[in-house]
Amino acid sequence: MHKSDLSYQLERFGLVIVWLAFIALFGALRPDTFLTWSNFSTIFGSEAVLVIVTLGLMIPLTAGDFDLSIAQIVTLVSMTVAILDARMDLPLALVLPLGLALGALIGLINGAITLYFRVHSLIVTLGVGTFLHGITLWIGNSQTISGVSPILMEWVIIQRVLGVPIAFYYAIGLAILIWYMLSYTAFGQQLLFTGRGREVGRLTGVAVDRVRLVAFVLSGVLGAFAGILYTGTTGSANPSSGTFLLLPAFAAAFLGSTCIRPGRFNPWGSVIAVYFLVTGINGLSVLGFRTFVQDLFYGGALVLAVMISQLVSGRKDRGL
Amino acid sequence: MTKMFKGMGLVSALMMASALPALAQDDPAAAAMVNIEAYSGIPEFTPPGDPFDARACMEGKSILTVPASSAIPFIKTIADGKDALAKELGFKHAQWENQGNPTQWIQGMNYAANNGFDVVSLLAGADPRFFEPQVKMAQAAGVKVVTSHLTGLEIPGPAGVDANTAIDYKQAGKLMADWTITQTDAKVNALILVSNEALSTDSLVEGLTEAFAKCPDCTYEIVNVPIVDWATRIQPTVQGKLQANPDINYVIPIYDSMSSFVTPAIAISGKRDTVKVATFNGTPFVLDLVRDGTVEMDIGENLDWIAHAMLDAEMRLICGLEPVTDSKVPLRVFSAENISEVGDPADASKGYGDAYVEGYRKLWNVTK
Repeated sequence: MHKSDLSYQLERFGLVIVWLAFIALFGALRPDTFLTWSNFSTIFGSEAVLVIVTLGLMIPLTAGDFDLSIAQIVTLVSMTVAILDARMDLPLALVLPLGLALGALIGLINGAITLYFRVHSLIVTLGVGTFLHGITLWIGNSQTISGVSPILMEWVIIQRVLGVPIAFYYAIGLAILIWYMLSYTAFGQQLLFTGRGREVGRLTGVAVDRVRLVAFVLSGVLGAFAGILYTGTTGSANPSSGTFLLLPAFAAAFLGSTCIRPGRFNPWGSVIAVYFLVTGINGLSVLGFRTFVQDLFYGGALVLAVMISQLVSGRKDRGL
Repeated sequence: MTKMFKGMGLVSALMMASALPALAQDDPAAAAMVNIEAYSGIPEFTPPGDPFDARACMEGKSILTVPASSAIPFIKTIADGKDALAKELGFKHAQWENQGNPTQWIQGMNYAANNGFDVVSLLAGADPRFFEPQVKMAQAAGVKVVTSHLTGLEIPGPAGVDANTAIDYKQAGKLMADWTITQTDAKVNALILVSNEALSTDSLVEGLTEAFAKCPDCTYEIVNVPIVDWATRIQPTVQGKLQANPDINYVIPIYDSMSSFVTPAIAISGKRDTVKVATFNGTPFVLDLVRDGTVEMDIGENLDWIAHAMLDAEMRLICGLEPVTDSKVPLRVFSAENISEVGDPADASKGYGDAYVEGYRKLWNVTK
């Protein structure tokens, strides 16, 4: 369907090329520090939570729904895991499935309200997310809870493969699963149809409501998994920190949709987008720029990448 | 003969006293250790002023406390402590519950002005620079406005307030630097994280830089991360700095709640054995991190002591006594050696002894 001409390939790999150009630029400026394996292991190992939140967001986005509650699912599950483990001394073998089940339940509630009452998912998940934040502050007494079992940290950031913390491989594993699901399963195709046109999907026999509900549940489970990793990364649960993941995750999901499979939310695009942003911020820190420059980069890179992608593709209207 | 011994004793004491500063200059680690040891034990009570009859002069008077945010346990605990003390002393004390929004602080100021309160206490971060007109309006209505636990001793009260009860933040800054100097044998290479918008930051940084100035082989870099960006900026910033400067041996987040973003950055960078964390505030979860070894040292203040000290200063203002600027709230250094004294999980008011409880009651002329 797509022409395999140069401009399409440029569009597909534009972000990767810009990413490599950034690596070359930072490498040329600080070769002794930036171009070291320890620095790349830091880059890859530090944003697994953001990758997973982005992947989680992507599923309802593909079905045409927004899940603004995902960051609060991260925070609530992170807090729940910390309280059950550190304060109530329950075994992790019980705590972790409970955390994932909590994420699934919240996804189910999001989906049920959206579908039964026919309210836009943006409003429902915004409300549910705010409600969840209230619960997090309540159960955690607005405090950071520490003292989580070291074994959780061990299996998130301490254990390393090729020098990179193991959380990175969890994120990549999930990206492979989601890529497979979207590309090779009936559910993946139904998700795409649902997102492209609900009426058309319904007329072609797709159970649109069921597909949207499952998308919300999957998003909840991935948010919960990210929450568990967050607790494992910091060894504690902070009642508000997950909140700050929402905008970067949306930025990465939209930025990711400009590459690899342009015009579609896709897992590899999302992964590349996250690491492109992280590389830029890491490089600026290594070069000694002040922290406000990171905001300039985050916002500037997003707008610029989307503009370039549109120019390369001949400024056609986006379906997203 | 006895006279001669006495004379020799005096001479040697004088010689030792004059040698101490020289020793401090020659050996920065030894000088720093003197400071650390002075703040490692259970603190003593130092009266902030002369005794007075609190019950008599506070009869019929009232104080409204506007906390920076009632949702922050550190601040809420202090405000609740003031409530309990006012009840014990028999006068009216109320809290203007809020969630840290300056609009809510302004509502609190208006409430105080319209309801005949004698003092409004802006507690632990409710910054009057955000609502100067309302401060003037309350003062015009006869309400005295006090900032409590907001600035260091060197900083004057902001926005024309009537009094400013301060904390020795500069000493806290010195202690953080001194700790790292003692632990590295005066070869510190520190990354210091600050948030410039907080009024206490200036004093903390002044203390840090003053202490490091006495250590010729110590280097440091100060990085500002605004409070709203802690969750997103601290981790990548610390990771980047640890890569750019592999000789860093200490990260000093000047507010200990930053630690939850600093410690993963150190772990991900694979530097848990070489980079340590020294910090300030005594927040319970960070004291727990000191117990498990993730954070090496945390300087704390007793929240109940703060409640006593702030109320004492506010009562003195109402009673027409000499205003108190130096609250004399002590600091204590918590490390692996004494962390068992704070409870498990840590309690914000444990580990400081209870000398202040009796001390303040004697000062106020009441017996418990």
